[in-house]
This record gives sequence, structure tokens and C-alpha cells, in this order.
Amino acid sequence: MLLSHVVHTAATEVCFPSPLSVLQGEGPRASCGAGAGQDVGRSCILVSIGGKNVMLDCGMHMGFSDDRRFPDFSYITRNGRLTDFLDCVIISHFHLDHCGALPYFSEMVGYDGPIYMTQPTQAICPILLEDYRKIAVDKKGEANFFTSQMIKDCMKKVVAVHLHQTVQVDDELEIKAYYAGHVLGAAMFQIKVGSESVVYTGDYNMTPDRHLGAAWIDKCRPNLLITESTYATTIRDSKRCRERDFLKKVHETVERGGKVLIPVFALGRAQELCILLETFWERMDLKAPIYFSTGLTEKANHYYKLFIPWTNQKIRKTFVQRNMFEFKHIKAFDRAFADSPGPMVRSGLRGPARLGPCLQVVFATPGMLHAGQSLQIFRKWAGSERNMVIMPGYCVQGTVGHKILSGQRKLEMEGRQVLEVKMQVEYMSFSAHADAKGIMQLVGQAEPENVLLVHGEAKKMEFLKQKIEQEFRVSCYMPANGETVTLSTSPSIPVGISLGLLKREMAQGLLPDAKKPRLLHGTLIMKDSNFRLVSSEQALKELGLAEHQLRFTCRVHLHDTRKEQETALRVYSHLKSVLKDHCVQHLPDGSVTVESILIQAAAHSEDPSTKVLLVSWTYQDEELGSYLTSLLKKGLPQAS
Amino acid sequence: MDPECSRLLPALCAVLVDPRQPVADDTCLEKLLDWFKTVTEAGPSLLLLQENPCLVELLFRVLKAHDPRPRVLSFSLRLAGLFAAQEDCFQYLQVTPSSSVSQQGELLPMLFGESGPLGGAAWTAPTVRSGWLQGLRSLAQHPGALRFLADCGAVDTIFSLQGDSSLFVASAAGQLLVHILALAMRGPAEGHPSPQGCDWPACAQKIVCHVEDSLRSTATLQVTQALNVLTTTFGHCHSPWTQGLWVRLSPLVACLLEKDPIPASHSLVDLLLSVARSPVGSSDCGLWETLAQTLSHLSPTQAGPLALGILKLQDCPQALKTQAFGVLLQPLACVLKAAAQAPGPPGFPEGATGDSITVDTFLSSKSACVGLLCQALAHLELLQLLPQRPSPWPQAPLLRAAVAILRFCHGSAAPTSDVGGHLCAVLAGCVRVQRAALDFLGTLSQGTGPQELVTQVFAVLLEYLTSPDSSPMVLKKAFQATLRWLLGSPKAPSCCDLDPHTQLFLGELLPVLRKRLCSPCWEARDSGLEFLTQVTRHWGEVPELTGQLLRDPESYVRASAVTATGQLSSWGLYATPTGPEHPEVQQESLFTELLHILSTDSEGFPRRAVMHVFTQWLKDGHADVAEDLEQFVARVLQAASQDLDWEVRAQGLELALVFLEQLLGQPGSRCPYAVALPEAAPPATLAQVLQALCRVQLFEFALRALFDCDRPVAQKSCDLLLFLKAKATPCGGPQEAGASPDVVSVEAALQRWQAGEQGQPLGELEPEAVMAVLRSMDLEGLRGMLAKSSDHMEKSPQSLLQDMLATVGVLGENEADCY
Repeated sequence: MLLSHVVHTAATEVCFPSPLSVLQGEGPRASCGAGAGQDVGRSCILVSIGGKNVMLDCGMHMGFSDDRRFPDFSYITRNGRLTDFLDCVIISHFHLDHCGALPYFSEMVGYDGPIYMTQPTQAICPILLEDYRKIAVDKKGEANFFTSQMIKDCMKKVVAVHLHQTVQVDDELEIKAYYAGHVLGAAMFQIKVGSESVVYTGDYNMTPDRHLGAAWIDKCRPNLLITESTYATTIRDSKRCRERDFLKKVHETVERGGKVLIPVFALGRAQELCILLETFWERMDLKAPIYFSTGLTEKANHYYKLFIPWTNQKIRKTFVQRNMFEFKHIKAFDRAFADSPGPMVRSGLRGPARLGPCLQVVFATPGMLHAGQSLQIFRKWAGSERNMVIMPGYCVQGTVGHKILSGQRKLEMEGRQVLEVKMQVEYMSFSAHADAKGIMQLVGQAEPENVLLVHGEAKKMEFLKQKIEQEFRVSCYMPANGETVTLSTSPSIPVGISLGLLKREMAQGLLPDAKKPRLLHGTLIMKDSNFRLVSSEQALKELGLAEHQLRFTCRVHLHDTRKEQETALRVYSHLKSVLKDHCVQHLPDGSVTVESILIQAAAHSEDPSTKVLLVSWTYQDEELGSYLTSLLKKGLPQAS
Repeated sequence: MDPECSRLLPALCAVLVDPRQPVADDTCLEKLLDWFKTVTEAGPSLLLLQENPCLVELLFRVLKAHDPRPRVLSFSLRLAGLFAAQEDCFQYLQVTPSSSVSQQGELLPMLFGESGPLGGAAWTAPTVRSGWLQGLRSLAQHPGALRFLADCGAVDTIFSLQGDSSLFVASAAGQLLVHILALAMRGPAEGHPSPQGCDWPACAQKIVCHVEDSLRSTATLQVTQALNVLTTTFGHCHSPWTQGLWVRLSPLVACLLEKDPIPASHSLVDLLLSVARSPVGSSDCGLWETLAQTLSHLSPTQAGPLALGILKLQDCPQALKTQAFGVLLQPLACVLKAAAQAPGPPGFPEGATGDSITVDTFLSSKSACVGLLCQALAHLELLQLLPQRPSPWPQAPLLRAAVAILRFCHGSAAPTSDVGGHLCAVLAGCVRVQRAALDFLGTLSQGTGPQELVTQVFAVLLEYLTSPDSSPMVLKKAFQATLRWLLGSPKAPSCCDLDPHTQLFLGELLPVLRKRLCSPCWEARDSGLEFLTQVTRHWGEVPELTGQLLRDPESYVRASAVTATGQLSSWGLYATPTGPEHPEVQQESLFTELLHILSTDSEGFPRRAVMHVFTQWLKDGHADVAEDLEQFVARVLQAASQDLDWEVRAQGLELALVFLEQLLGQPGSRCPYAVALPEAAPPATLAQVLQALCRVQLFEFALRALFDCDRPVAQKSCDLLLFLKAKATPCGGPQEAGASPDVVSVEAALQRWQAGEQGQPLGELEPEAVMAVLRSMDLEGLRGMLAKSSDHMEKSPQSLLQDMLATVGVLGENEADCY
């Protein structure tokens, strides 16, 4: 079941409503659990902003092996065809809980639109998906799973974005990526439609680590900031301490002749640990080689080398002399081993490395010890207390990794065999999320109007919510999965002014001044969702409308016994003397004009001593017309 | 229940009710429920509860907890529902007080009634509300449950949950209502109850009245809820009573059409289609009128899905179908009108003339225009593939419209009308419409068209393939559409009888293709290659452009290049620059080149592609393979055996099987009814075959694979050896070798391999020894074991319970980590 948060904003203060809504599905809690799922859950958020629908991340859940592993997209498909409904999909980073359902979504559910991600994510994502597909198929022989071809076809729909580059998804929707730390290529995304915007952080880290920098965003003041809150209440100890511990343990084991197994997924954590061990080996001048049991590493390392600009300052600086990802001590198992004439030490491993040198430190996939090579090595080494297995990541229930982490030491294997685990089992968290301090820091940086917490546990989120509300005086939401919240936005609607109109305004000698707002007359045209203020003539022309003349008329009674022509002449002389700046004319037919105003004198039908003045004027001369009428009503001066 | 699980259960229940103990992995409760579901489905729940009193105890304790954890409470509600699905167990739970909990009471009313979580603080958690609904959903299976629902006032609560702030709770509430309605109408009320509902059971009456009230509501949300409930009802229940329901409700539904704007149009469309598809539809003439009326009342965008739905119906009046088809064609008719150089009929059936409403939608905004066009194209694409598509199918105007749209998008159209100008501005460079139009154009290749139109199609496709503005995705679609048109062109498949237009097009296409295969964008190169591979299956005259891409930096492209060259070579069309005088040298060089890729490429995709090509070559009797079959198989197997990628090793076994089949004949078990064809050549004697297998070291490869750490490899190997064993044994193959030194050494090696020590090679083998080893192995047993998923032990309920118990107290920050 998909679990989601729904947030709706209906603009109440503007005539043009621009709803903004967020629907989030993640976490394994099919029971619509309070709060969002933990990291191992599946992230999948739907944002509706200004009539545009954007899906943020498309993660999978590794804890399930049935259809619960993917989000339930039927909540979206009930809105019609996916490709029609969704304007784009954005993937924040390559972790499977953020991108694992992507090939399923695009190739099996049938989304055919664009998918945006950063270049490193685009490069690494398929490797991880392929890695996972192989494990899933290996383990279960699953047929109803996406294929290699599907991964490729899905990746062809990807559009890569650069950091800080504004990408125009269509005329109205634009997105922009910001550096998020966390893992190589991780990005936060700003989604903008008109004057409304949402920022989605994905997973991020506000403190630089060994190979990545800290997350950063500019003061973009979004209407809504959707932030992860994994460590909502934690102030994390320094990662350095954890790293020191890790190295110490590896070193001690190697020193006493033991073997170290580090189960990893092909990418991400693996490279981080490689850097760590490589530098340590270098510093301590250690000789024991470190092996990486998957062919995928080469490509992974290649990408890490390629995307040096995405790493931290230190790596970038030393890059000229030496690329951190060109490892001296870490070697991939390759067929060269099998053919090498070196010492034929039986390694006890399958495949090409079987004739290789003695293995002491091995990185092996998969990371949760649930199939394949890592499990095989584990089975071989588990019986000796001199050996050690280090789990650098969380393991889901139902895997050997989970069992040994929870302290189980007698594992039942096939055919009633029991494997006794005597080797040391260590857990080392290298998780790179922002802690409470970091989250506050990011909120401070972006200055959002509202904050929405996801990816965390309800109780912890509650604490953080209060803190954010107190410190920043903004509304903070932490909707449970599936809940709806309504926000208000008051978007300012930009209006373009035509050059003609501006020039006309300038011609009056008044220069624009930002501090002095001025009234500008014109016609507001709404076309193609744009607003423009133009002169009425231009508006008529653009809209293909004919102009209508509107005249005001008024009768003024004058006591005058003379003939109509003479009265008219008197009116002419009077106006000529009063209105010196205007063009007053006496026409041959006896009528008088002042600009567009027409005055005709007529005899009164009943009273011959009274003359009636018919005054008419256009609405453009409304002011003058009214003035004239009031003037005439006062009567004409006596003839001299 | 497994005794071991029974033993672990009390401890687990104790953990669940202890508020200080965190519940293990968040998937565990879900999996636990899965397990209980299978247990209750397999046997009597009552017995289960009686044998495991800790379960009832758990439910009581969770209920009585001062501050129950929402997740555990939700779990308990669902669990109780599972148990109460069986009537005897339901009664037991209704009256059975707990044995040891101080406070006693009737369990089910306490869980689902107003005194339960419903009134408590925990109710604010959506997970609890969802658990409550799911529990009731499981429980509502028998008449007793209906009375219970009425007594505890659950139905009113479900009504209110329809508008829940949680999307999932609201959706579950709607579905539960449908389920209860169907349950209430089951049994005595089954048949044709009167529409007035006087003879309907009270519970059903209540639900239907609620739906009626909702339909009359002015709040769109309520109308939507009612419509959704009805849609599910007509979708799932096909009993005669649904007819009475429709008679009763259809006037209210018709009233909705009179409102402006029509409320909840999307849900209304779903309902009408659901009714039309149900047995109710075929008997109610008023329905067709309502559908016709709805079609004309809805906006073009809203009417699209309804029109498609109507056209998919098996039997509905022709007039309605014509109207619906008209709705789908409207946008394309507008496009044709806008693109027309000279006035003339667009050629669509009457009714589809590009009406003013559609034009207005086009002009209103860019997104409306794009949305409507994409929708229309997608709907027509779907329709074209259906057997019940309208006939005659307006192929020519549709083609013209698709070409016009693509030209508008490409900026190559010269519009003469205002609407045309507008479309030009809106569609220029619009990737969304381009994708949809190219897909549609591809589908249209199934039909024919006048030559001048086909020429236009090829021209516009060429424009897209050539254009530097085509995005990788558009390019891929253009290649796919081109392929479909080429394959659909009248005189395939041999190149010599291609019609001149296609030949001309191919001539123009090739330079473009050449350029695309050098594109800096891997997606373009790969789509180009995929196209080429497909095309070469049908035409031989496409020159090889693929050789150099065997060394592409992108592995996806290398893999596609391997597939393409492999295929070209099969057709005798692959030529390297050495010239045509020595074809055998070229073939050799391609084999060597592919073998080199198999042995050295750092990535799996190209290596896997090579294995596929080699297997295909072996199957097809590729000239080069036939030259020295054994040498070929030996070299390929040697390379495959050392591969890190299990899929390559598995493919190696596939190749080995093909080889075996060629030597021994098809496996008999595959199709017992197949007619045995006379064989072309007498099969080799078994002894010769086994000698050959030994020479190519197939045995060592297969036996090693038998203990591969990757299950599919072991499985394949097991199948292969079983096949061999079956073939060899009845023929009375080589005599029993007894415990010869050879057999002993093979068995010793196998034992070592099984233990994970695969270092030592077997060396030279004698067929007798191999057969002796095969006979002594329990391959069937091994196959059974391998058929299970490799983590079936870890997935067992016992393992789940152990894991949940083991994690007590060790949960730290581990869970916050990611993978």
C-alpha cells in the first residue's frame, strides 16, 4: 500500500487560484502509520503546484519481496493516464529507497514523461538498479521484476541537470538543483511555477565528510520546504570517531591474522569505505591487499573519478596530483588473478579469484548478506573467532545480515544445518543525514514560508516541529502518511507592460521610480496564461475587437430671447475667453466645438425666451465635458 | 501451526504489549499478519486461539494499555479481524473474556465499538483508523458480522471515514462500504429486490440512503465519494440486485449532468463506464442515453476517457459509438483544419469536424492544448489496437493529422489560419506532443495509406531523425516509428522487392543513421543500434555500421553493438575493412573479437550480449561455429566459466545445453506430444558424445556450476546434468566404472567444491568416471532444494519470530541507516 502525505494549498487571496499540494508515499507502514517511514522505506512524493504535478523520488522498499516493495501507484493512475497527469519525475539521489521503483514506474506502470536527476545520479543509478535486479533474480528467480532492458529504456527517459542550472520543464514549470552532500550527486530541488515554489531536500548532510561537501541552498524563500528529518532529534557525534573505530577494528583483525568481510552494495558506501581504508593503509604502510569482489566497482570508481567536481574541496584540491579514487591497495577480483603465476593460495572463493592470493580484507556484494558472494564468504569465515564481519549499513528483516546484527549466533541453513557464527560482528553506521542542528540550519538558509517534515519518526518530528515553529515563526507540518493539510499561498502575479505604454508614460516626463508607485492606465490582457498591460488601441488590435464610441449628452437651459444662432455665437465667445488653452471652434452649421465636445443651441418648444444647449462629449473628454456643462449652467455673461 | 512457532509466540506477544520494547523492523508486523492470514486460511482459527491463548491475551492487553502504540494497536485490530472472519471464532471472540487480565469484557465490541480505540486518543493516528477498517473488512464475512456492525454503530463511523484526511483511510472506508453492501444483499435478499428498497436488509438500506444523500449534496467531495462507492459496487458485484440499485439511483446520477459545471466529472465517467460494463448495462436502455448526454455535456478533455471507454464496450448502440468516436477525433480534426492549405473535407466521419469547443480548448492555453492533443493521440493509439475499433477506420485522415502535428511541433508547417498559427506557436518544440504523436504514427503503420501520404510519413520521420533538436527520447520514438513503418511497408521482407519509395527512403536514412551512431549522446547511439539490429532482421542491405561501436565507452552501446554484429554475421553480412576476398578471415576475426569482449570487458552487459550471440550462432549452425564446433564450445565455455557475472555463467550453461541437444537430440520431457521428426544424420553414439563433452570440458564447467553461489546458475546446471543423465542411463552408456581412482578423485573434488573450495581443477576426465559420478549424485533432490528461493529459510515464520524477539533491546540508530 502506498502511504502518503497530502498537503493542499488553495490560494484564498487571489483571483487566480494556484493550488499547491503534496502527496507523499513512503515507508513500509501499509497501515498508514503515523509519521513517515525510516530510511529503508520508499520515498515517493507527489507535489501539485500551480496546476503542475511533479513526482519527487520513486523509491522502493527492500524489506518486502512482493508488490509492497513498490509504491502503490494506483493512487496516481486513478487521475487518468500517468504521462498526461504527471509533468515530470525528479530523483534526488541514487539510493534505492529513492530511485528503486523507477524502472517499474516507467516501463511497467507506463510513465513515459521526462525524469530529471543530476549527472552523477544518472550515471550511477542504473548500476545500482542492475545490481539490485541481479540480486532479486538470483535470490528468488523472480519473473515479475524489471529487466536489464527496462532499466536501459528507463534511463533513456532521463534528462540530466547541472547544479544551479534552471531547467525549464515546460513554459511554466522550472526546476533547479542544489548540492545536498549525502552521497555523490545527491541534490535538493527547487520546483517553481510562476511565483510559487517548493523546495524538496531529498536526503542531505550539512557537514562535509571525507569525500563530499556540505549541503547548501540560497535564500530562495519557497512557499514550502519539504525536508527529511531522519535525525530530527539527534545531534550526531563526529563521523571521524566512527571512522577511527572502524579502522581500528579492521587493523586489529588483520594484525592478528584474521579476515575481514565488509558486505556492501556496489556503490556509495563502498567507495566511501574504500577511501577510508586506502588512506589508512597508506599511512600505516600496510601490505595486505584489499579486494573488491564485484566487477561493478571499476565502473563505479570511474564515475567517482569523473565527477570530481561533486566531491569536497579537499579531494578537488589534491585531484591534480592524485585522484583519490585511483586506489593502490584496493584491487578488483578479475580474471587476471586466475591466470597469474603468483602463489597458488587457495582462497576458498568461487569464480575467478579461486587461485588468487590469500584474501584478508574483502568487500563483497550484496550488502545485507542475503545472497551471492558476500553470503558465501560469510559462511566460510563465520566459524572462526579471529575473523570479523563489518556491516556498514542497515539490513532488513529476513536477511542473514539482520540476524547477525540482532545478535543471533546460530543460523539455520539449508537441510537443517546450523551455522555457528563465531566471527565478530560489528555494525558501523556511516549514514550521512543532517542532524537536528543541520535541519535548522537549512531552514534558516532557505527561509521558507512553511516547512513540511518527512522521512522521520512521528515523536522525533514533533519535537523538531516545535523547535522550527518557535525559532523561525513559520508553520511546520508533519502529516502522517496519507493525510491532507491545506496551506494558503498569496502568489504575486507578474504583469508585463507594453513598450508603447511605457514610452507614452515616459513622454510625460516622469521617470520610473521604484520608491514611488504610480498609477498607470491601460488594458489588462490575459493570454496564454500571461498578463500584459497594453494601451487600449493595442488591446483592440490584438483581440481583434472593433472600437465603440460612447458619448455623454446633457441639456442646459439658458434664458435667452435671441435667436439660436446668436446664442451659439455668445456661447462661442464666452468659451473662447474662458478656455484659452483649448481649441474652441464655431462651425458653419452654427454649432460650437471644444475638442470632442459639441454644443448646439435650439429653441425651447414651449418657451421662446429659453434656449436649450445640447452638449455632448466622448468619455475621453469626460473631465472637460463635465466642466463645460457646469460652466454653461452658470449662464452666459451679459452682452457688453 | 509449527510447534516451534507456537513455542516462540507467547514471548513475542509479551514483547508487543510491552511499551518499553520497540517493535523490530517496521516490516515485521506486516509479515506477521501475512503469516497469520495463511495460518487462518489453512485451518480453524478457533483451534488456533484455544491452543495459543497468548493471542487473545495480546488483544486484551493492547486494548487495556494506558497509551497503546498506534502501530501495535492497528496490528491488533487487523489480527482480530482475521480471526473473526470465521463465524465460530467470531462468536468466541465476542463473548470470551480474557483468562488472566483483571478487566474483562467482550473482546470484539471493545475493539471495534465506541468504547474501543474509536473514542481514544490513538484514533488520531491514521494507522489506527486504517487498522480498524481493515479489521472490519476481514471480519465482515458472515451474517453474524452484519448484526455486529449494526449493533456497534460501525457503519456510521465508516461513513464519516469516507471523508478522512488520510487518502488511504478514505479509500479503505469506501471499499468497506461496498463490501458490507454486497454482504448484506447476499443470501435472503439475493434476487431482484424492488428498487424502492422496502425489502432490502436494513444495513443495505442505510448504505444506499447515505449514497443517495451524498449524490444530492452540493459538496463535490461527497458526490465523489458516493460515485466511487457505486463504481466499485458495479465493478465487483454482478448479482441481480445491482439492477435494482441502478434503477433507484440513476435519476440522481442524471441530475448531476444538469449541473454546470458537472461535479466530480472524473468519478462520474468511471461510474457510467462501470455500469455499462456490468450486466446492468446490457439491460438498461436509459443508460445509453445518459452516456450520450454525458458525452455532449463534458468538456473535450473530460469526455475523452468516456469516449474511449464507450468504444471499448462490447455491445452498445452504433449511434453512441459514432458519437464517441467523433469526440476522440475532434482534436485531430481541428489540427487538420488548421493545417489545411486549401479548404476541403478532412475526411473524418461526420461529427468530427473540429468543433468550436475543441478549438476554444486549443486556444485557451498552451497546457490545455498540449494536454488535449496528447490525450487524443494516446486514446486513438489504444483504440487502433483493439479488435472492436470503429470500422471503417479513417486511416488516411489520421495519418495526415499525425504528420501535421509532427510538422507543427517541428516548426516545418506553414499555417494559413489563425488556429494554425496558434498551434505553431504552442506546439513548436513540444517534446510531450512529439512523443505522443510519434507513438501514434508508429501504431498507424499497421494500416495502409495512399502512397503520397506514406511518402509524407517517411519525410516527417526523416525530419525528426535528422533534426539536431530532437531530444534523445524523441529520437528513440522516431526510430521506433520508422522501424514500424519499414516493417509494415508492403513488400517486406527481402530487400530486392522493396518498393521504390521505401528504397529511396532507406537511401536517405542511412547517412542519418551513420551520423546518429557517432552521436556524443549514448542514448542516440544506442537507439540507433537497436533500430539497426531490428532492421537487419528484415533487410540485408543495411551496411554494417556497428563494428566500431564494439569499442564504445558506454557498455549499453557495446552490448547493442555485439547483438547487432552478431546478427549481421549470422546473415553473412558482417564485413570488416579487410575486404570481401577472404570472408573466412573476417568471420574468424569477429569470433575472436567477441571472445575478446567476453574475456576482457569490464561490464556485464556486453559479455552477456556476446553469450547470447554465441548461443544463437550455435543454434543457427553459423558457418564459423560449424567449422570446428568443439573448439568453439570449449573456448566459449572456458571464458564463461571464469566470468564474475552469474548471468554470463548461466548463459554458458544455456550454450552447453544447446550443444548437448545437438549431440543427443531434444530433451524428451519438453513436449510429450511432439511428433518425432526423422533425424537428418544418425546421432552419434553415446560414447562418442561423452568423449566430445569431456574434450570441451563441459563436465567440469557444469559440475562446478552445480555448486555456484548464485542459485540460477546451479539450477541450470542441475537441469543440464539431469538431462544428460536421463539420456545416458537408458541407453546403457559406458559400463559402471566402480570405485576407480578417477571416480574417487572426481567425488573428492565435488565435495570440496560443495564446501566452497573451488580452487582445484578436475583435469582430464574419463567419460566412465563422469557417468558414475552422475549416477551416484542425488540430482533430483538438489533440484528440489534449488527450486526454493535462496532465502526461504530466512523468510520462514519461525525465522520472523526469532528475528523479532532477537531485535528486542538491540535497536539503536541502526534503523536510521540507509542502503
